[in-house]
Amino acid sequence: MDLDLARDMPRAGFNFDNCKRNATLLSGGFKPPKTTKTGTTIAGIIFKDGVILGADTRATEGPIVSDKNCAKIHYLASNIYCCGAGTAADTEMTTDLISSQLELHRLNTERQVPVVCANVMLKQMLFRYQGHISAALVLGGVDKYGSHIYCIHPHGSADKLPYATMGSGSLAAMSVFERRWKPDLSEEEGKLLVRDAIAAGVFNDLGSGSNIDLCVIRKDSTEYLRNYELANKKGERQLNYDFKSGSTVVLNKTIKDLDITINIRPVPMET
Amino acid sequence: MALAEICKISNASYMRPTAWATDDVNELKSYASNFENPYTLAAPPFANPVENLNKIQANADKTGIKIEFDHGTTTLGFKFKGGVILAVDSRATGGQYIGSQSMKKIVEINDFLLGTLAGGAADCVYWDRVLSKECRLHELRNKERISVAAASKIMANIAHEYKGMGLSMGMMLAGYDKRGPGLYYVDSEGSRTAGNLFSVGSGSIFAYGVLDSGYDYNLEDEAAQELGRRAIYHATHRDAYSGGIIRVYHMTKNGFKVISNEDCEMLHYKYQAEKAAQ
Amino acid sequence: MSILAYNGGCVVAMRGKDCVAIATDHRFGIQAQTISTDFKKVFNIAPRMFLGLTGLQTDILTVRDRVMFRKNLYETRENREMAPKPFSAMLSSFLYEHRFGPYFIEPVIAGLDPKTFEPFICNMDLIGCPNVPDDFVVAGTCAEQLYGMCETLWRPNLEPDDLFEVISQSMLNAFDRDAMSGWGATVYVIEKDKITERTLKTRMD
Repeated sequence: MDLDLARDMPRAGFNFDNCKRNATLLSGGFKPPKTTKTGTTIAGIIFKDGVILGADTRATEGPIVSDKNCAKIHYLASNIYCCGAGTAADTEMTTDLISSQLELHRLNTERQVPVVCANVMLKQMLFRYQGHISAALVLGGVDKYGSHIYCIHPHGSADKLPYATMGSGSLAAMSVFERRWKPDLSEEEGKLLVRDAIAAGVFNDLGSGSNIDLCVIRKDSTEYLRNYELANKKGERQLNYDFKSGSTVVLNKTIKDLDITINIRPVPMET
Repeated sequence: MALAEICKISNASYMRPTAWATDDVNELKSYASNFENPYTLAAPPFANPVENLNKIQANADKTGIKIEFDHGTTTLGFKFKGGVILAVDSRATGGQYIGSQSMKKIVEINDFLLGTLAGGAADCVYWDRVLSKECRLHELRNKERISVAAASKIMANIAHEYKGMGLSMGMMLAGYDKRGPGLYYVDSEGSRTAGNLFSVGSGSIFAYGVLDSGYDYNLEDEAAQELGRRAIYHATHRDAYSGGIIRVYHMTKNGFKVISNEDCEMLHYKYQAEKAAQ
Repeated sequence: MSILAYNGGCVVAMRGKDCVAIATDHRFGIQAQTISTDFKKVFNIAPRMFLGLTGLQTDILTVRDRVMFRKNLYETRENREMAPKPFSAMLSSFLYEHRFGPYFIEPVIAGLDPKTFEPFICNMDLIGCPNVPDDFVVAGTCAEQLYGMCETLWRPNLEPDDLFEVISQSMLNAFDRDAMSGWGATVYVIEKDKITERTLKTRMD
């Protein structure tokens, strides 16, 4: 498309147009706005037949819980999932981007993408942005080389571990793993262990909360257990607080009718 | 007590009026010194508060140590042939949060002396109470009511004493004494001015607009009261930090009268209807 | 003061039974000074979809125009109406494009799917992290107050008229405790066959 005709055509990549203006605005003594943080407990372990990932479901904006049930385990490929902690938009967009690239890679190579490939792509991208993309990730998957858990830090460093935790609740979760993780756990034991680790974060870390999500990846199947456990149900309301119709004083009311009948008009094809 | 004497237990610690040693009492007194003498407020707990308080406030963005006092107000007062009119809003805000919509920003010091509050609500209320005590003492000592000039001078002296220590006040004192109606403006910087017409607070620029266009020394009582009310109403409409109830007081030679306490919302739709009817 | 509170204002959207509602206040101010009281922060961008934007007013207008451009381009190319879900994805990538020099706005989207009439509500932070709950979304200078009001008043399966009362009372009582929002409010209730727009009587101080 001709950019002279449509200057607003989106170009690929980040747009830095507002940076200078924003710096000027903020130098006037205004506080910069807060972004949504996951403020998270995420964890992953290797068990006998694959890997299990776990996450809490709280998103925060400063002291406010902005999302009580967000999904922090992101899809990368059918055999690879990734938990994200840090700035919510960053973890979401980074995993989405890498997921697309992995799919293209799979179509190009015509074979299942190995987990190490996702690890390299993620850490190279994060390193390129020098930590400005604040995504702390726990990557897990199973491929023909076996089961893998990677721990990727915002600046682009990565560890390959048998069990890993990230986010503000990582210490609580890690204490559970350090006590109870052992090689060749059964799936049931593994799920319970990850649940307990996330629950430790949910109940002991203020940045983490609400429910527990799990994702079990085996040699040839994947099970995404969204809201595996509803750890914090909202209290039942005892009384009815409904307002009577007409309680709110209305100054002006207009109704716009929308036509929902659909007319199909055949248009002859140009020849 | 005779039995206690005989039993020789009158000196036991549990028989004393309080279990506190005099040292404890002295220590307590030092923490609550302003109960006995309101002028001895504890200074901020660090060396040279006048200089260092400003430094702390200036670094508030970095340190996060900042107290948002209740602030933001519109108050006004003017003299006219029928006495003095005072009109105020009633909103108290801490930052952008509205803490109260029903604050009393006119303090009735005595029947012939009124004070308005603007700035730190706690500062104003505290020192108005001290002032009210001083005025009563003056009355008892001298067998006549204190003049507005003298009362405002007490306030200005207090403000000067604590200048730079973080007090925040902008008040008007209105009264009636043997010299006739009096109206003074006093603030925490220590200034004190007599005048015919003042407006103080974040909404004062809007109030001045209405006041200046409608003010005349020879206004009738009712017109003057309505002018004050309208000026505050227009200020509450434009200023985010003013609102709630509009209170109008009238100081006459027979003491003050409360003219009205009306809600802004009601006034807005009343004025709107009047405008539409014209 | 946050730059998002420079001009004041708030928006809230709620899901009901086969309907959604979105409400906006009318204030446009510069810090404490109210400049105008007829600035609605909610825009009708498709027959059954509204976009609410709070934050810095200059960015509200810019983002609205830029996003409308992209939406029109999509509709011209695809020759069909844009549904709320793809629209929110588009807005999210638009905002994330400006990750390192963001627009100072917080968007709220409310609408019905043009084909299935499924209700949809969504909000984002200023760099486009989407949040799609099944109850309500809020944005603006009185977000805290709105969260409190909505948590107590909202319940599932509200009929359009009840939804209107709930969203109106939530907004009214929330911005009565906020200096930077208020000065009139408009509520839109979107059903599959009609949109009802109501202007509310509010405090004007």
